[in-house]
Amino acid sequence: MSALNGFEPKIVAYVCNWCTYLGADLAGTARLEYPANVRIIRLPCTGRIDTNLVVKALEIGADAVLVSGCHPGDCHYSAGNYHARRRWILFRELLEVVGFDTRRLHFTWISAAEGRKFQQVITEITEQTRALGPYRPYESPALPPREDGAARPAGVLEKNFEESRRELREAARRLLEEGRVKVVIGYGARGPVFITKPEETGRLEWNANCLGNLTVYLKRPEVRALGAAAVVVKGCDERALVVLEKESQLRRDELQVIGLACEGLGQAKCEACETHRPSFADITIGNTAAQGATAAARYAELERFLERPREERLAYWTAEFDRCLKCYACRQVCPMCYCERCLADKNRPQAIDTSTHRKGNFAWQLSRAIHLAGRCVGCDECTRACPAGIDLRLLNLSLARAAEIQFDYRAGMDPAREPVVGAYSLQDKEEFIR
Amino acid sequence: MSQRVSKEELRQRAEAWIEAGKMVAGPVRVKAGTVLYAPLPTADALLLDGWIRPANSIKEFVFPRHEVLYGYSVGAAGITLHETEPEPREQVIVGAHPCDAAALPILDKLFNWDYRDDFYNRRREATTVVTLACAVHDEECFCTSVGLGPAAERGSDVMLFDARDGAYEVRCLTEKGAALWGSDVERAPANKPMEAAGPERRFEPAEVAAFAKEHFEDPFWHEHALACLGCGACAYTCPVCHCFDIVDEGNARCGVRARNWDACQFALFTAHASGHNPRPAQGARQRQRIYHKFLMYPEKFGEILCTGCGNCARICPVGLGVLPVVKEICHAESV
Repeated sequence: MSALNGFEPKIVAYVCNWCTYLGADLAGTARLEYPANVRIIRLPCTGRIDTNLVVKALEIGADAVLVSGCHPGDCHYSAGNYHARRRWILFRELLEVVGFDTRRLHFTWISAAEGRKFQQVITEITEQTRALGPYRPYESPALPPREDGAARPAGVLEKNFEESRRELREAARRLLEEGRVKVVIGYGARGPVFITKPEETGRLEWNANCLGNLTVYLKRPEVRALGAAAVVVKGCDERALVVLEKESQLRRDELQVIGLACEGLGQAKCEACETHRPSFADITIGNTAAQGATAAARYAELERFLERPREERLAYWTAEFDRCLKCYACRQVCPMCYCERCLADKNRPQAIDTSTHRKGNFAWQLSRAIHLAGRCVGCDECTRACPAGIDLRLLNLSLARAAEIQFDYRAGMDPAREPVVGAYSLQDKEEFIR
Repeated sequence: MSQRVSKEELRQRAEAWIEAGKMVAGPVRVKAGTVLYAPLPTADALLLDGWIRPANSIKEFVFPRHEVLYGYSVGAAGITLHETEPEPREQVIVGAHPCDAAALPILDKLFNWDYRDDFYNRRREATTVVTLACAVHDEECFCTSVGLGPAAERGSDVMLFDARDGAYEVRCLTEKGAALWGSDVERAPANKPMEAAGPERRFEPAEVAAFAKEHFEDPFWHEHALACLGCGACAYTCPVCHCFDIVDEGNARCGVRARNWDACQFALFTAHASGHNPRPAQGARQRQRIYHKFLMYPEKFGEILCTGCGNCARICPVGLGVLPVVKEICHAESV
């Protein structure tokens, strides 16, 4: 068959050193024949496999990728495979939304004693991939752009912010006067302001243009150098503090939080907002009668998007990512992107191509999304900051939905819950690992 | 005597250029709320009004954000280098703003002062710019403060003025423009009443330069940069910011050398391999951007590295940008 069409699939297998690699070894010493299409890359543990490696393999010529490790309970490092399982569950969801052909991705548990299983798996994957034909990265049919409806009017809300604004200035002034904080991070006329003197609190604003998530500044060294801080948050921004605290990035007792009740500022996120009133703030200003949205409303736009065929989804994201300039505004405005050196900035060797060609943009966008899986609180700052108008919100929603459906977890909603990534459960369920 | 062209005729011309095999780019509404200069699949996509200015600039058609310089392969016979880029296609940018067109002569100087950059020059020579004089502006526009205006002709090959009756007055300004339009170069000066009033003058560039010269260590830079998050959105949407990085992509057998846009607001921009960073904080990086535009570039090339388009301020997620910062400088100076 292969001789007829001339296509021999290339399969890249990332395997665990302790189980699957030895399983492959056993297949060899037992003289079990399997197709020579597989290229094995041995890694210490499936828990160490970056999702970027999976994408990269496909980009540089693989037609299918296998990731294989130890059976649950057998990990040499006790829990690496459990961590990996969680990550793959989320990663597969992301690839589904982006429109990758997940039939080219395979996950298996193969122990050192399962030479025969290794033989079977490789044979089956090779046959399946041969039937699928060669992988063509990001080839997209020309399609009309997605209908977005009318643009949302920005800052046209006729709401009365005045009373809350006055209270906000008063609260900030007190905090500074009493010496409880050295700086109040709040909204000014054009953007964030850093108020250090009680007499300057009149510069604090609260209006429909107060869109930024100011918690991003809590990790910036220049701002930390100013001393103990108070930060102004809306309910949506406040969720970031929960995650940051869980990830040991801030100490809540060193921070004053001024919460603003918010009826919505006309953004996409506001339509499905459940946190109109901050719940953990030290000082909460204002009140609102606005109610939380239902779970159905939360992912409504994503559900609509998922009704489209896979090829159309991939074409949509190809067009979106093609516009990416790699200005990294999405990363810089994100409170969760606090790494001192981002994976995208690792250049010895270059982890992710800095080029804005299609391959480089997919690698960056998928990495950004998966690194925020189960951590993104949906403040949508990345989407607002993107000069190219890329619909990052939809990507973030896909992972938020996956975390909720698969692990009943919502980032930043419950301080008592363990983070979804970085933790694991023996009971994690999936149906795609053989 | 200038010619006139209706909006419909302009589209027909654009369609004809596309059919003739040219790359025709112009403002396109890529989605609700986002207008960008982009290649036009058909002339119908050309957006002629209803917006202030696109969120990017036309520099990417002469200085692409990713450009392969050459390829390499390693074989038995040693290393072979090969050209990867064919001669660029003829391109027409239609509906450019005067603040975009004016960027091209500024970039010309930069890409030719000590070294003739063939990659840039080839694309530049293949480019004809049909500019649409501005009829509207917003509070971020400040072309008049940097010596330009809503009908500035610099860098344009053909200039269109909205006659406000569904048609444009046409002025062919260069041989290239005349050849594209199929008419003669206009010698008579522009008809003044056609000009829309531009934004009022917001600051004096010489004051910015004077402040910069005397205040390298001023705490001002640090204070106003507190809000800056260090993304490259300002530089990447700026018509004249031109920094780039050279990267090699490939493996031991073959690959390419490419140049990619880079931006002075990234911490990595000046990071040394040793770990030392001569611009260690965002204040130093913000200072650099203003210095380069208002002091260093003018000293070297005799003009400001800014066309007053206002993209930086419009796009900055935290409300910074050239205008807000220089207004603060000039305000502080006059007090």
